[in-house]
Amino acid sequence: MRGARSKKIVLWSIIWFNIITLSLPTVIVIGASFTAGEIIQFPPEGFSLRWYQKLWQLDDFQPALMRTFYVSIICTLISIPVGTLAAIATVRYRFRFRKSIQVYLLLPFTIPLVVSGISMMIFFGEIRILGSLWPVGMALCIINLPFMIWSVSASVNALDPELENAAYNCGAPPVQAFLTVTLPAVMPGVITGSMLMFILAFNEFLVSLFLTDSRTVTLPVQIYNSIRSIITPDLAAVSVIYIVIALIAVWLLDRLVGLEIFLRSK
Amino acid sequence: MSRMVEVKDVSKSFDGTLAVNAVNLVLNRGEFLTIVGPSGCGKTTLLRMIAGFEVPSAGEIRINNDRVESIPPYRRSIGMVFQKLALFPHMTAAQNVAYPLKMRRFEPAQIPSLVDKYLQLVQLGDYAGRYPHELSGGQQQRVAIARALSFSPDLLLLDEPLSALDKKLREEMQLEFRRIQQELGVTTINVTHDQREALVMSDRIAVMNEGVVQQDGTPVDMYRNPENRFVANFIGMTSLFEGTVCATGDGVVSVKSGNVLLQARSNDKVLPVNTRVDCAIRAEQIRIVEDASVYDNSVFGTIEHRIFEGDRIVYTVHVEDLGGARLHLFDHDPVSHKEYPANERVRLGWNARDLFAFQAPQSN
Repeated sequence: MRGARSKKIVLWSIIWFNIITLSLPTVIVIGASFTAGEIIQFPPEGFSLRWYQKLWQLDDFQPALMRTFYVSIICTLISIPVGTLAAIATVRYRFRFRKSIQVYLLLPFTIPLVVSGISMMIFFGEIRILGSLWPVGMALCIINLPFMIWSVSASVNALDPELENAAYNCGAPPVQAFLTVTLPAVMPGVITGSMLMFILAFNEFLVSLFLTDSRTVTLPVQIYNSIRSIITPDLAAVSVIYIVIALIAVWLLDRLVGLEIFLRSK
Repeated sequence: MSRMVEVKDVSKSFDGTLAVNAVNLVLNRGEFLTIVGPSGCGKTTLLRMIAGFEVPSAGEIRINNDRVESIPPYRRSIGMVFQKLALFPHMTAAQNVAYPLKMRRFEPAQIPSLVDKYLQLVQLGDYAGRYPHELSGGQQQRVAIARALSFSPDLLLLDEPLSALDKKLREEMQLEFRRIQQELGVTTINVTHDQREALVMSDRIAVMNEGVVQQDGTPVDMYRNPENRFVANFIGMTSLFEGTVCATGDGVVSVKSGNVLLQARSNDKVLPVNTRVDCAIRAEQIRIVEDASVYDNSVFGTIEHRIFEGDRIVYTVHVEDLGGARLHLFDHDPVSHKEYPANERVRLGWNARDLFAFQAPQSN
């Protein structure tokens, strides 16, 4: 009995330690963003929305936010067909070099982002697309693609391999079978992966740092630049905006992949 | 009757192992054939070749007199109920049933009434809007049947769809499959490892083992006149022991087994003296007797187990005189018979026409 009790105490201590260490920075930043004072501090000095207002009026903020949305959307849009098809192919079909292709697709994950950033900067420079915004989205798609593939692969693995045969048996040619049966069945993985890709691209800093300049700077890089000059509470306000966007994504995910119930046949 | 399916010398090998070995089968329009055999006997591979998911390594498959080996599955007029059903999880029951109609380009105006008709046929009229996960196992089965039949295929294939159900539901669905099959008159091939299911549902049975069709015939024929030891053993509850032919007569041979002489039927086969044979006897043909004079064969044995199964008692009797063979027998009449305890010495009797003698496979 004593053993069980002390085990419980230890477990709960660990849980609370985790909850506090994980959420404390967020709580502090949210609090600090509402300060009425001039410096970031916690607990905040008074309550005001002045730093949000300041943020909105800042020349650089709105364009940077828009560019970040643009880059994230490009990244997500590319990743949906590429990641979905790659995941289905590498999980479902046995073909030559299947293992090598699997490893190759996961490679970006194993390379330090600094290395990816530098090499993409050089490459994009060589083919003269450095300075445009869309290559940034593409670069973010490449480095984060493993998440999309993992997410879709999980759905493909859960799929009954006979489902496609059942579609053929019903008279559906392969393309029809794919569009009407396979694709809808792996949709939860695609949705989860897309959300993940969007959030990751929205937050990505290091590679963007290499690929953007003052005309194409995205929000994370913009924040970094501001920190280097002076730390004011508007940075806390930006952080809160990030937190809100992440929460919206999680909420959307829950709503959309609530669809998953439909996809369980047993 | 016209031929619906003809399988001619069909073989299939995977990486050098022969899964199906020169199989021949003919199925007439409207017939219900069950291919039965232990797992790994090649029955599912054969079915998948007929469905078009596997290509035969050799031989011909004809459906409605057309060769189909090179025709993809989506151009064959075959409905199939899969082992794990493979219902489309993101479609309702009605959408599942409508799917083959859409894919096969039926008149759109016609589809709702056909869907309705087939859902009624499987008694799921009220469940059209339910998703597969909202249906019970038996209801999912019914959706799968309706989906396989809604476009009036030439041929219906059943790939052990009942194996996952519990016994009571399985028996109910066996009769349901049979009812629907007879109502529509659709030619059907069923694959199963359950010999009872084969006997209950089929017009004809083909017993397969190790890629080869062992015997093909009506259920009654298969049960009463098995052609070899495998079929005799696989269908029904059968006891086996070895012997040697010591005299031949008209349809009857004398077999020496252990140290007793038995009368057995030779199944119209020529079994010369000194042939080594496998003897097979069904559990319901053996009686525990006081007076052996009315039976052709009689031995003494010791009861080893007695299993009470409610409607019958199953005895296992150890017979020293038959080389230590174990014979299984049923006692179906608990009213007039006494129950014999284990270790009791009993006399067993049976008739020559119930004891099968098969030439033993040549051992090299």
